[in-house]
Amino acid sequence: MQTRKEGHPCFLIMVNKTASSSRRSFLKGIGAAGIAGMTGPMLVGAAQASTTEWNETFDLVIIGSGFAGLAAAIQARQLGLESVAIFEKMPYYGGNSAINGGLFAAPGTPLQAQEGIADSVDRMVADQLAAGRGIAHEPLLRHIAANAASALQLCIDAGSEFHPYLQQLGGHSVPRTYQTTVSCGAGITRPLLDKCRELGVTTRNRSKFSKFVQDEDGRVVGVQMQTRYYYDREVSEGETINVRGRYGVLVATGGYSQNIELRSAQDPTLTAEVTSTNAPGATGEAMLAMFRLGAIPVHLAHIQSGPWASPDEGGFGYVSNYSIYNFPHSVAINRTTGQRFMNEIADRKTRADAELANRDAEGKPNPPILITSYDHAKEHPSAKKVLKYKVGWKFDNLESLAAEFGVPLEPLRAQIDEYNGFVREGEDAQFGKPMEKIAGKTIEAPFMVVRLWPKVHYCQGGVAINLKSEVIDAATGAAIPGLYAAGEVTGGIHGVSRLGSCSIPECMVMGITAARSVAGSVT
Amino acid sequence: MKKSNRLRATATCLMLGALAGLLIGSFSFAEIREYDATEGSEGIQGRDYHQRLYQRGRCEACHAVAEPTGYPADGSCLDCHRMNGLVAATAPEDEEEKWQNPHDSLHYGREVPCVECHGEHTNKEPLCADCHNFEYPNHQY
Repeated sequence: MQTRKEGHPCFLIMVNKTASSSRRSFLKGIGAAGIAGMTGPMLVGAAQASTTEWNETFDLVIIGSGFAGLAAAIQARQLGLESVAIFEKMPYYGGNSAINGGLFAAPGTPLQAQEGIADSVDRMVADQLAAGRGIAHEPLLRHIAANAASALQLCIDAGSEFHPYLQQLGGHSVPRTYQTTVSCGAGITRPLLDKCRELGVTTRNRSKFSKFVQDEDGRVVGVQMQTRYYYDREVSEGETINVRGRYGVLVATGGYSQNIELRSAQDPTLTAEVTSTNAPGATGEAMLAMFRLGAIPVHLAHIQSGPWASPDEGGFGYVSNYSIYNFPHSVAINRTTGQRFMNEIADRKTRADAELANRDAEGKPNPPILITSYDHAKEHPSAKKVLKYKVGWKFDNLESLAAEFGVPLEPLRAQIDEYNGFVREGEDAQFGKPMEKIAGKTIEAPFMVVRLWPKVHYCQGGVAINLKSEVIDAATGAAIPGLYAAGEVTGGIHGVSRLGSCSIPECMVMGITAARSVAGSVT
Repeated sequence: MKKSNRLRATATCLMLGALAGLLIGSFSFAEIREYDATEGSEGIQGRDYHQRLYQRGRCEACHAVAEPTGYPADGSCLDCHRMNGLVAATAPEDEEEKWQNPHDSLHYGREVPCVECHGEHTNKEPLCADCHNFEYPNHQY
């Protein structure tokens, strides 16, 4: 993979140095008592290296053990960094990645060649820019798409296994999405974690980041960690240690979907009443600490809800993957009207907003239903689990289905007949759903049904990075030396709405990119 | 803790572990009971097969210190209980469900520390319940 160098504002580094030097002179002048009351970015949430005793030293310190952190650790070792450590806040490894859907979009893959699908970096980026609604970061999207296929290969080399078919997810113009055979991100995180250990990467759980350590030039030279941390009680029962990152610190800590205070401050609709697909550790402390260092906050209010989630189970559960697979050949029905209300494979935001408008007369949520031919639904491995754990149901005829969910029968029957006509004609006159790939897949009895209600899923916002995964200082536009970030903790890449299956390639590619930048900085 | 105490605690643990080994697969028989006053552990809640530890006031067997103020180390339970035995005891019969083994799960394999799903002095829900409606009828606490 070639790390792109364009867009790296080298000329601004001098400005940065000048700014921080003058700031230091100023601080010296007011003395220690004055400093204690200061709220400057150098002192809040960061410790000074000159007064720090290091408990441990590594070439590269990585915070977070999801896709980005694991990929970075592997690449860093492969590039010759001798000591690499991953610190994980939670008691178990994998972060939110270990419970995600395991969907990986990439253009120009072996499966696309096998299926004769014409795709390209340009085409994938164009799809993402459309969903980004004008505020996505094209150079970063292009860098990620260009390197996605090789990142996929890194997973395969580590032992990840993928279904032998591609899926076409909402907002994608062609099928380009791989999925692990276990239909979960754990099909990637577990092999990558094994690979890390095989390569001698140090892995520590229950290690909570508390602050960065900077040297007198403002370079991030390490972190302070709490050990034996219990997230559920929010206590650390071990000692606090200072860990030096000789060549850099990579923050790969994910999003803040589980930080209700922070997310609802950005988007007041995302209160505690809205549940989330995310692991409980997705609370964003390290991101906030990067802002205190001066990192640029980008798009924090763009928080995505997953339109494929079910109100009948917690988190991502089984229904999410089931729905993602089945949306193309299914109808989503408003239970009051018996009518469709959206293009079932529009981008996530379009669908989540449309679902949230399903309300009863009193304005309370009235979750819509997704109706699929059982013969089509059962093709996905999650279908059995959905039925077994009673988060989805099979019906022999439309009468029993309508009665169960309180849907008016005749409008529903008319809607399904109309939709089946669209399938035969190859054109969705109601909502413009692309019909090419679902030829012949009319909706017939017996039916399978799940209920839909969006869950907070992904934070498009975070810290701004450049094409080297360096974190950018808002005051100067230059990279904050020694500090790298990758994955969901970064912001602005996808714009308003991230397309499904585009997070794993982003995490993997930017984690790999960060490792290359760190390795490249070793002199 | 003195080394000799530690050794005695370990020996007790091993004995109980052997007993627990015989009972593997029969976790539904374990009960939470309130115990009579023992030195430093009055009224403390715990598993019946740990009863002798409570009777002897052996907090250090798990906590490594005589007067604990926090949780035991993550590996503590596994000083006596065998991971392979636990995995075997909860292995689903159906091959399709093999990753729903709470001791060897799809998401984390065998790496979830015991205390994430089990509380000795407090009731806990299995971690799986965060996202799944699995039924583990033998999981009590």
